[in-house]
Amino acid sequence: MSAQAFPPQFKRETHIVNGLKTTVLTAGSGEPLVFFHGAGIWHGINFALPWTEKFRVIIPIHPGLDEADDDPAMNHVNDYVVHYLDLFDALGLGTFSLVGFSLGGWLAANFAVQHGHRIERLVLVGPAGLRGKEQPKGDLFLLPPEEIPSLLVSSFDVIKPYLPDDPKDLDFMGARYREGGTLARLWWEHPYYRKLPRYLHRLTMPTLLVWGEEDKLLPLQNAELWRQAVPKAEFQTFKRAGHLVLDENRDAVNAVQKFLS
Amino acid sequence: MGGASGSDVRFDFMHFMPYVHLPENHKDYHSTWVDFPNKFYDPKKGHALYQRYLAELVLAETVGFDAIVVNEHHNTAYSMMAAPNLIAAAIIPQTKTAKICVWGTPPNLEYPNRLAEEYAMLDVMSEGRLEVAFPLGTGMEYWANPINPATARARYRESIDIILKCWTQDGPTAYYGDFYTYRYLNPWPRPYQRPYPPCYIVGTGSPETVDLAVKLGFGYSAVFVSKTRALELNAQLRKSSAEYGHPVRPEQLPLQVITYVAETKEKAEAEASEHIRFFFEDALRTTPNFLAPPGYLSVAELKKRAALADKLHGGFSFENVNESFFLAVGTADQVVEQLEDWAAKMGTNHFNILGAIGNMPHWKVVKNLTLIGQDVIPRIRANAAAERRVAAE
Repeated sequence: MSAQAFPPQFKRETHIVNGLKTTVLTAGSGEPLVFFHGAGIWHGINFALPWTEKFRVIIPIHPGLDEADDDPAMNHVNDYVVHYLDLFDALGLGTFSLVGFSLGGWLAANFAVQHGHRIERLVLVGPAGLRGKEQPKGDLFLLPPEEIPSLLVSSFDVIKPYLPDDPKDLDFMGARYREGGTLARLWWEHPYYRKLPRYLHRLTMPTLLVWGEEDKLLPLQNAELWRQAVPKAEFQTFKRAGHLVLDENRDAVNAVQKFLS
Repeated sequence: MGGASGSDVRFDFMHFMPYVHLPENHKDYHSTWVDFPNKFYDPKKGHALYQRYLAELVLAETVGFDAIVVNEHHNTAYSMMAAPNLIAAAIIPQTKTAKICVWGTPPNLEYPNRLAEEYAMLDVMSEGRLEVAFPLGTGMEYWANPINPATARARYRESIDIILKCWTQDGPTAYYGDFYTYRYLNPWPRPYQRPYPPCYIVGTGSPETVDLAVKLGFGYSAVFVSKTRALELNAQLRKSSAEYGHPVRPEQLPLQVITYVAETKEKAEAEASEHIRFFFEDALRTTPNFLAPPGYLSVAELKKRAALADKLHGGFSFENVNESFFLAVGTADQVVEQLEDWAAKMGTNHFNILGAIGNMPHWKVVKNLTLIGQDVIPRIRANAAAERRVAAE
C-alpha cells in the first residue's frame, strides 16, 4: 500500500543512521523544507507535491514506521531529536524550514526548541503533544484502531483510496498495530510531553500554526494551548478539513508554501 | 501407553471467582473487561460470592484435590481476584495439605521486591505449600494498570530476574536495571522452600515466554491456545528443556481442563452447557483492541491471533470451544478416559481442573467437585500406580 502511496516524483534514499535503516523521500529543488509526518504515513504525501515546485522537500520516515527499521530503544522524544541530528548531518543539511504534522508537529516543536538556530521557519500542522484540559481528546490509544481513519478526515472520500477493501485485512491491521507500538513506546505513559510547555518560549523563529476546523482527533480547542504557549505564532484555520488538513484542503498547502517563501 | 505418565498424579482445582450478577442489558457492552462500568458491582452480592467461592476452594481439599489455584485480573466481572495473594492468605489457615498455587500476579503489576516478599510470606505462612506462576498478564491488564504494554516483555524479564535474585542470593544485594534500581535488595521474609517455591509460567504460547520457562527450569502451562498448539508446545518444551540440561518433568506441565461430571453424559452436558456458554460468551467477552494493546504482541503474533480472538472472546460455539479447549464433560468413566488420553498425549500427570465454570451455582460446583473427588481422582491415581508397578516389574 505505502509504496504506491508515494508519488513517483519523490526519490527514495536509504541512510544508515546510527545503525538504523532510515528511508528519506526527496523531491524538488530550492531551499530545503523538511517535513515530519505523523504517526502513520499510509495516507501518502501527495499534498506535498506543490511544495516541490519551490523547495527541496525532504520527508524522512520516522523509525518504527512504514519502511523504516524498528528501534525498540527509542522511547523518548530526545531519541528522535538525536536521530534527526544524525540524519541531517548525513544529508549535509545546515539550516532549513521545518514543517511537522500531528506527532511530527510535536517532534518538530521539540527539535526546534533545542536547535532553533537551524530552523529558518517553523510550521506546526495540527500538532499533538500538549496536555489539554479535556483529555482524553487527542489520546489515540482510546480509539479503536478501526475507527481512526474516519476520525482523521472531514470527508471520508479523501482517505478511502488508501484503505483496504477488507476491513479485516491482516497486513493493514498489522502495519497499524506496528505504528501503535512505536507510538506506545513514546506516549503510553503520557499522551503528551508534560515539560513541553515550559520549553516552547524558545520557538522564536517565525512560526505558523495550521489547524483543520473539523479536526475530530485534536479538535480546534487544542490550538488554543499552542497559541497560549507560542503567542507570536501566526494562526490559520481551514474549513472543510479534519486532522489531515493538508490532504483535505489545498488552501492549507498553499498557505504553508506562502509562509515559507 | 495409556493413563497419566510419571510419578504422582496431581489434581488442582482452579477458581476464577467471577462476579456473576451481570445486568440484564450487559450484552449491550462490547466487553466485560477494562471499561465495563463498575457501578454494576454490588458489594453485598460480592460478599456472598466471596464467602461461597472461598468455601468451594476449601472443599476441593476435603474431597481429594491436591492443590488450589488462584490468579489475577483487573477491571473485570470475569474475576474478583484483583489481588490473589489476599485469597491465598484467606485459604491457608483453612487448609492443611493442599498446595496453594498463585498463578499468579503478573510481576509487571507489582514492585518485584514486594512480590518476592508477598510470595515468601505465603510460603512461610503455609509451611512451604506455595507454588507460583509468572504471567505476563493479559492485554486487558495493561489498559487497567499504568504499565506500558510496549515495554511489558522487557520489564517482565527484569522483574523475574529481580525476584529470583531475592530468593537465591543472601541480602543485601543491589540491582541496577533498565526499569528498577535497588540499592538494598534485602527482602524479609525469605521463602520457606529452598531455594524457592516451584515456579511456572502461564501463557498463550508466545515464543519468548516459552523460551524463558525452559531457560529458568520453570513449568509451563499453555492457556487459550488450540489443542494442537498445546501439544506442539509441550513437545517443544520437552525438547528444548533437555537441551538446557534440565528436562521438564511431567508435573511441570499442568493441563488446564474444563471439567464437569454427572450421572449421565446428557445430564452433564445439560447441567454444564449454559455455564460454559457464560464463561466464553460473557465472562471472556472483550475487544481485539483490549486483547492486544499497542506493542504488547509482535506484529506477526498479532496477525496470527486476529482470527482466534474472534472465536474465543465473545463469539461462541461449542465446536470452537471443543476444538480450542480441553473440555471434559460427561460421566466419571468418560472423564477418566478423556483425561488419561490427553495426559498421555501431553506428557503430563498434572491436571488443573476448571470445575467452577462461569456462573455455575454452588450446588453444581459442590456436586462436580464431589464426583470428581469420589469417582475420577482415585481411579486415575490407581491406574497410574498400576502402570508404575507394571513398569517397575
